[in-house]
Amino acid sequence: MTRIGWRLASIVTGAVFIALWQLIANAHVISPVYLPSPARTWDALVVGFTSGTLPDQLWQTVQRMFVGWLLASLVGIVIGAAIGLSPKAREYVGPTLEFIRPLPASAVIPLAIVFFGLTDGMVLAVIAFGALWPTLLATVHGFAAVEPCLYDVSRALRMSRFAVIWKIALPSSLPDILAGMRLSLTISLILAVVGEMLASRIGLGRGILVAARLFHSPDLYAGVVLLGALGYVTAQGLFAVEARLLRWRHR
Amino acid sequence: MDSQPLIAFDRVSMTLGGTEVLTNIDLRIEAGDFVCVVGPSGCGKTTMLRLLGGLLEPTAGEVRYAGKRIVAPRADIAIMFQDYGRALLPWRTVAGNVSLALEALDVPKEERPGRIAGVLATVGLDGKADKYPSELSGGMQQRLQIARCLAQQPNVLLMDEPFGALDAMTRQTLQDEVLSIVAASGATVFFVTHDLEEAVYLGNRVIGLQPHPGRVAGDVAVNLARPRNQLTTREDPEFARLRRHLFDFIKDPGA
Amino acid sequence: MKRWRGLLFPLVLIAIAQAAAMATHLQSYTLASPADAAVAGAHALADGSIAVATLQTLANAFGGLALGGGFGLVAGIVLGSSVIADRLMEFSVEALRPVPSVALIPIAMLTFGFGFRMEIAIVSFAAFWPVLILTRNAVAGIDAGLIDVARALRLRPFARTVKIVLPAALPRIFVAFRLAAGIALTVAVTVEVSTNPMGLGYGMILAEQSLHPDLMLAYLVWVGVLGWGLNFAITSAQRRLFRA
Repeated sequence: MTRIGWRLASIVTGAVFIALWQLIANAHVISPVYLPSPARTWDALVVGFTSGTLPDQLWQTVQRMFVGWLLASLVGIVIGAAIGLSPKAREYVGPTLEFIRPLPASAVIPLAIVFFGLTDGMVLAVIAFGALWPTLLATVHGFAAVEPCLYDVSRALRMSRFAVIWKIALPSSLPDILAGMRLSLTISLILAVVGEMLASRIGLGRGILVAARLFHSPDLYAGVVLLGALGYVTAQGLFAVEARLLRWRHR
Repeated sequence: MDSQPLIAFDRVSMTLGGTEVLTNIDLRIEAGDFVCVVGPSGCGKTTMLRLLGGLLEPTAGEVRYAGKRIVAPRADIAIMFQDYGRALLPWRTVAGNVSLALEALDVPKEERPGRIAGVLATVGLDGKADKYPSELSGGMQQRLQIARCLAQQPNVLLMDEPFGALDAMTRQTLQDEVLSIVAASGATVFFVTHDLEEAVYLGNRVIGLQPHPGRVAGDVAVNLARPRNQLTTREDPEFARLRRHLFDFIKDPGA
Repeated sequence: MKRWRGLLFPLVLIAIAQAAAMATHLQSYTLASPADAAVAGAHALADGSIAVATLQTLANAFGGLALGGGFGLVAGIVLGSSVIADRLMEFSVEALRPVPSVALIPIAMLTFGFGFRMEIAIVSFAAFWPVLILTRNAVAGIDAGLIDVARALRLRPFARTVKIVLPAALPRIFVAFRLAAGIALTVAVTVEVSTNPMGLGYGMILAEQSLHPDLMLAYLVWVGVLGWGLNFAITSAQRRLFRA
């Protein structure tokens, strides 16, 4: 079968699963309070969008996610470049970074609450903190791993320090940096949702939590579906940007 | 015009990482020379090249270009590295890689396309300006490196075993191309190789180095007719004699 | 001596924080000096509260890792061995994978209430995906020659899987579980911080709410040590097992 044929077949398989879901829901094997049918979930989505509630929540979540992510990425790249380019810095600061790497970003939420209270600022701070490390660590790695022969070439051509960083180190590190940013984006979404839940800020995270508390399962599931879609679209978007910037890799 | 050589190694010694890599190197290279340096691994021939390129400073003695000590890389000395895969920028096109040299020389933007086109035509890459190095064969990548060096319009070309990683046929083609490029530009060449035949074929002078520590074991003039020819030159009895002589010299310099 | 250079930076930072706290005679509900945090941590250790919380978090994390990782392993082997299954499931995997595990917190809360089941369910979801994808890649990437050997020996699918496929894919499967373990711990703490009243995450929230910044900091450092220690232990095991 062709590529498109298989693609269609896999979509059909997905549809089969949704049909199964519908059957299970219809049979009331699980109470509709806990498991809404796909049909009711879809209705909730439609109503949510036409009434403006979901777009509003979506926009809030998206905003938080991207602002925190972009801020963190910028800081992460600048600091990561500085550390990555200096063997001394890598030696002294590296182990500390390695220690922070496995730290669950959500562990700093209580600390952030202490400083910022249950505000938008707190959520943004947590998102930025969580999103910082993957990009920073990936940038350090990228800048540290620049092909040494290229440094020889840059010396032979008598390039300035700035030119070496801008024309050689940065493009060379770009694949690593983008991979780090991809991970950071995933974390941004997660922390945005968690932050909204905790701080009761308007957004999809709070939306689904409220729906659960009110036993409005169709709204709950609709919100989760939307979050899944958000995760998918943003990941694909970043992939597309990456493909464009790194087209030299795919030729 | 005085009889000063273009390049001079004056009692040069080089210690790297505790080991003495080169000891008491005395060498004079005239403008227009095509000097090939041969020797077994560890004899310091790449170190000599890096000293000439200004990438290293000698522990003792002086390396001079046109009478002045070499303390840093010079715009008129171009370096061609051995591992072309690692010496080219994979994220830039063929034209972009050549452009790097022009950017480093602060060549005005308007002049660049013309010079890039010219240099690519010289090495036979004119149709490939928009390709990425990963799309090129080994031989073409090495030509790209040559093109980048030529973009500097150098007086001296330093080449570090440039054809070692290529197959025999590509190697021979590139040898002849280098000869014709050098003949046209009049550049002085310092060519490092482990291949004795290549050294005799290309150069008008072959320096043999002995290792541990590296020192000049032989300095032989090659008077074979130019332009060289892969078939006739290699069949010339003088070619065989020179090769044998060098082989013996490197094995036992006392002979 | 050189190996200890890495400790210099954090030690200096801690020293500065301590000095600053002492210089300003810090007494607040928001900040605590490193020394105070250490004392609070020692107390919590002594009265067993940190130990209990740690065990709860680890139980949830490993429970979820085992459940989600187990399913992911099986599914990964299936998708990696069967091109048809892999292609058919492509869309479903693509659609479900980007759902953030934290988005399932309200669903789990609704279904299970608070407690172990809810947290393990969410951790399972989170741990499932990396194990699935990496196992699938590992199995699919096995040298075709080995599969030929299996065919030549006329091994039935189950025997082939156990005797040839799994051992060959084991190093990469191990890496998958190592990554999933980190994710499991992170998600567990996240669920505890946001909703579930148990474990280290909840301990931090309690400390913050009861205005005990020293205890909160102690928990934070401990979570960091735990995460790092877990990763270190698994990486060392990996090196020893696979000489990688």
